[in-house]
Order: sequence, then C-alpha cells, then structure tokens
Amino acid sequence: MSPSRILAIARRIAQGFRRDERTLGLMFVVPLVVTALLGWVLQDTKDTVVDVVLVNEAGAAGDRIASALTAASGDPTRNIKVVANVATEAEGEDWIRRGDGDIGIVIPANLLADIQAGNRPTLTIISEGTDPAAESGRFGTLQGALADVAGQLAPPGVTPPLIPKVERKTVYLSPDASQVDVLAPIFLGFFGYFFVFLLTGISFLRERIGGTLERLLATPVTRFEIVTGYSLGFGTFATIQVVVLTLFILNSIHVPSFGPFGDYSTPAFSIGLGVNSAGSPLLAFAIALLLSLGAVNLGIFLSTFARTELQVIQFIPLVIVPQALLSGILWPIERLPDVLQAIAHVLPLTYAVEGLRAVMLKGADLTSTVVQTDLVVLAGIALFFVVLASGTIKREVA
Amino acid sequence: MTAASATSAAPAVEAVGLRKQFGTIDAVNGIDLALEPGRIYGLLGPNGSGKTTLIRLLTGLAHATAGEARILGMRMPSRKALASIGYMPQAEAIYPELSVGENLGFFARLEGHADRAAIDRVLDLVELRERKGTPALELSGGMRRRLSLACTLVHEPQVLFLDEPTVGVDPALRVQFWTHFRRLAAQGTTILVASHVMDEADRCDELLFVRDGKVIGRGTGAELRERAGTDNLESAFLIFSGLDPEGNPIQPVGAGDDANNSPGEPPSGGEAMGGGQAMGGGGPMGGGGPGAVL
Repeated sequence: MSPSRILAIARRIAQGFRRDERTLGLMFVVPLVVTALLGWVLQDTKDTVVDVVLVNEAGAAGDRIASALTAASGDPTRNIKVVANVATEAEGEDWIRRGDGDIGIVIPANLLADIQAGNRPTLTIISEGTDPAAESGRFGTLQGALADVAGQLAPPGVTPPLIPKVERKTVYLSPDASQVDVLAPIFLGFFGYFFVFLLTGISFLRERIGGTLERLLATPVTRFEIVTGYSLGFGTFATIQVVVLTLFILNSIHVPSFGPFGDYSTPAFSIGLGVNSAGSPLLAFAIALLLSLGAVNLGIFLSTFARTELQVIQFIPLVIVPQALLSGILWPIERLPDVLQAIAHVLPLTYAVEGLRAVMLKGADLTSTVVQTDLVVLAGIALFFVVLASGTIKREVA
Repeated sequence: MTAASATSAAPAVEAVGLRKQFGTIDAVNGIDLALEPGRIYGLLGPNGSGKTTLIRLLTGLAHATAGEARILGMRMPSRKALASIGYMPQAEAIYPELSVGENLGFFARLEGHADRAAIDRVLDLVELRERKGTPALELSGGMRRRLSLACTLVHEPQVLFLDEPTVGVDPALRVQFWTHFRRLAAQGTTILVASHVMDEADRCDELLFVRDGKVIGRGTGAELRERAGTDNLESAFLIFSGLDPEGNPIQPVGAGDDANNSPGEPPSGGEAMGGGQAMGGGGPMGGGGPGAVL
C-alpha cells in the first residue's frame, strides 16, 4: 500500500471538482436550497379555514350544536366556517362532491336520546377521502372546535362533558382506504415524469457531446423536427411505461400457493396493486402522457446546461425534489406559504396530480372543469417546453 | 454529381469577409474564399487556428459575426443548400447503440435519400459491408471513423466538408479514401479537407494555410514550397507564419496571389511560440519531411 498513490487519487478527485464549479456549487447549494424549502414548508404551513357543512337530522336538539358551531365560525382563531346547514346526509355529500364544502358533520336523529340515556352521542364526519394529508389537517381543526362546543353544551352537572364519538365517512373511496389507493394516481404521474426527464436529458446530452447533433444540424432537418421526433420516440416509451404502470396499479393477479409439500410450497401472493380507478383509465393515461411530453422537452432543454451525464443527474434535486415537495403530494397546496403556492401553480406535476386524483379517485370525466383545466394547462406546459427545447438546439452550436 | 455542370460557373463554396468572434477572440478573422467545383482543397493549420470554426461557418452551423458564406450560390444558413452538403465532424458523430446499417439508414433518411443501393455502395467503399449488422459500439476506432465517413457520403453530396477525416485510419485504407475523394472530385464534388497531416496535403489540388483565423497562404503544395523557398510543407507553413524552420520570428511571406487576403503580419514573440508549439507538439521544429504531422 502506497500512501502517495492513495493521496494522488484523492488529489485527482479534488482537482476534478475544482474544474467543475457546477458540481461543487450543486453539492453545497442544492442541499441548502432543498433544506430551506423543506423548512419553509414545515414552519409556515398555513392554517386554512375549513368549510363545514352541517347536516342536522336531530331537529331542534341539533340546532343548539349548529348555532354553537356557527358562533365558532365567527371566532378567527377557530378557522372553521359553516357554509351550509342541510337536512339530509345526501345533500351534505353533494356539497362536498361539488367542492363547496370540506367536511360535513352529521348530527344524528337520536342525539337527544343518547345524551339523555347518558351515552356518548355519535357524530358522523363526512370528507372527500382522496387526500389524507389535507383531510387530517382539517379534522384537527374541527376537533378543536367540537370539543369547545361539547363543553358549552354539556348538561349542567355532567362532568366531564360528553365528548361525542366520531365516525368517519367519505364521499369517495372508503374511510379506511389504504395509502396505496390514495397514492396510486401520484405514482402514475411521478414516475412517468422522473424517468422520462432523466432519459431524455442524458440521451440528448449525448447527441450534443458526441457530435451527432452537429451532423444532424448539417442536414436539412429542422429544430422542430428534431424536438418532435424526440417527443414521439420517447413519448412512445413513456406511453408503454404509463400503460404498464396503469395496468399494474389497477389490476391484481392472485398467484396461489403451489408446490408439493405443504410447508415447503411457495406462499400465495398477488401481482399488481388492484386499485379501483373510479374514472376512465384512458383519461388518466392521457394526463400522464401530456406530463411525460413536457418532461421529454424539459430534458432536451436542460441538457444544454450540462456537459456530462453526472451534471444531468445533478438536475434531479433541482427539478424533481421541489415538485415532490410542492405539488400537493405531501402537503396540500392551500396550506403552503403564499410564495410557494405561486410556485406550485407553475409546476406541471401539480396539475397532473390534481387531474389524476380527480379522475382515478373521484371518477371525474371530461365534463369536469378541473380535468379540463388540468389537461389544458399540461398541454400548454408541454408546448412551452417544446418551444424552449427547440430554442436551445441552435443556441448550443451558435 | 450531375449538378457540376449547372453550377460550374459559380464557385461551389464562397466566403466574403467571414468573421467569427468568441468573446474577444477572433476565431475566424475576415476570410474570403471562392472554391471551384470539382476540386479538393486542403485546410491546413495548427490546432486552434480556426479550421473547424471556418467549416462550421461555411456549413451554417455557426452564425458569422460578420460577412457571409454561400454554398452553391445559396447564402448560408440555407436548408436547401444543406441537402447538398456532406459534413464529417471531428467527433465520430455516430450512434454507438445503433448498428452500422442503422446509422447509415438514419442519416440517409434525414437527407431524404433512403436508398438501399446507396447504403450498400458506401458500405463497400469503407469496407464495412460485413459489419452492417454490428453495433457501432463494438467496432474498432478505425472502423468507427470509416462509418462516420460513410454517414457523410451516403446522400452523395455535391460539397463535402471533412474535418480531419483520416485520423485513426490505417495507411492502406487512407489511400483508398483519397482515391475515392479524387473520384468524387472528378464527378464534380467540391471537397474541403481540414487536416494537419502533410502527405495528405499534397493530394489536394490547392492548399489554404490558416493561422489565427486568417488565410496566410494559398496555392498548390509546390507553389507554396517554392514561394517559401523550402522543400517541405511544414517549413513552408512556418515561414508563412513568420517563423524560420527553427521557430524563430522572421519577416513573413505575403499571401501572394490571393488578393483578398492582406499579407500576414509579423507575429509577436508570444504568438510565434504558440504557433510553434501547436505545429510540432513542443518538439524540434522543421525537421519533419513529407508525412510529418503539422
């Protein structure tokens, strides 16, 4: 073992870094930026006002709870707002389905009887059931208000006051839907975006550094033809990827235990997640594909700013991580600080996640304005990157 | 091939006051050219003298800071002219994961020339017919170079720009390459070869000495040697650059018959050293006979 040879190798690496200012920059700047972003999101998460729909099935007895909650609406520290007071659960669900209310509280018909019998009354809480991160935040807000109301309404002499039992009900999926069901649309969007971006970025970088782009540009081919050809080529593979992923997510094949000797047989298992898409898988596919087309051209665009494959990979924390943090996957967008909300609204993944959730979890179709908006915005972003990508093709050789 | 007669009146390649600046560096510093159809021109100069930039300006790959380039009478960049151009970059510029045949097919289709026979013809020329199905990745360096040339020739262009085409090609095949270049020229193709290999220079009809982004000498190899009063081209280049065969500054030889180019100015000492290093790789100057590398 020669220490001088070991030192020579270590020194070689340091020298390489010194020449590659970008790698050096990214190594120190990116972790700071991402950590700062994460800290910002975690510290400045906003309390948003929860829109409550009251379903009063208990008549006059329920009115007391209703008016107490409505009174709490006026208290700015409570962050709740009663937006409607309806008589049936079905009406309440409609409000939530339309997006006009966040949470429904059903005051049951037997409320008074329960209280008089000394039992804890049961309140049913209705939510969408599609975004656990957002909904658990709302439950927290609501629970505070409910505890207060229960305290105020407790019959004199009853201590501790009767805290109502809470039963959950959801408009979409089931209240005990697994994380997989809820996250499936996100998988579909995220992986398509991530891999397509990475593959195109590296592939196009090789065109630039290998001389083939020079050769291409010395033929009558136009920049638009190059970009469109790339989109079509990688789009085809993105399509296959999205199809395979969609099939895997939506289907489940049960493989039974097999083998001759009882204990030595293979265990039974399932292939695929078996998630039920509420809406058209084709529409979900269209959203994921538009997202991928944007990613192809983002990859071409960013390859201009890289000289090595390593530098393309360094774009991951800049391109992928902020989208993962801000696009509504981990935190609901409405609870982000204002500046980050503005950023979230220019990120393609935000629209893809929203659209895929609407289609796969809520069964939205093309008549839904949410889906329409998402498709239009994603197509616009894809087109924007096509223009940007073709703009960079001459730039490099200028 | 057939268009030679149609365009023979006009120069195939023309440059007027062509200039390209990168920041404060003049990579190409006012070059005027008129290359006739059916001739082979050699672009000679040390690394960094502006050969590649000149080719990129002529092919429309780079935007000129001033002046203009015309190919077959069409001002560059012109998509129509590009269809008649073959450009072989210094880099291999082939797709390693594609087979020999797939690489050729791809570039032929881009040129609108997807003709099986043309692909087979060019494969025979570079002796890669048996390797048609081999991924470029598995070829030797010399074979990849041959494939690169084949990709340049597959659409039978009228004007060829070859940036150091024979690097890594063995001597026997190099002779074959030049035989083919000569045949193409006889059919009317105009060829501009950037090179720093001296024995190749003598195969050209005419040579252009390039230094610091300027043409410092132009003529046949014999003419240039005669004007410099030396019997080898490397020394002639040094003398045109304002250096004696040992690399010491002297009064440079004028650009002679090329009225568009002002005579080279006596270079400063620093530049002279730079030129000398590029020419001989830092070794003794002027010792190389034919076949020496500039």
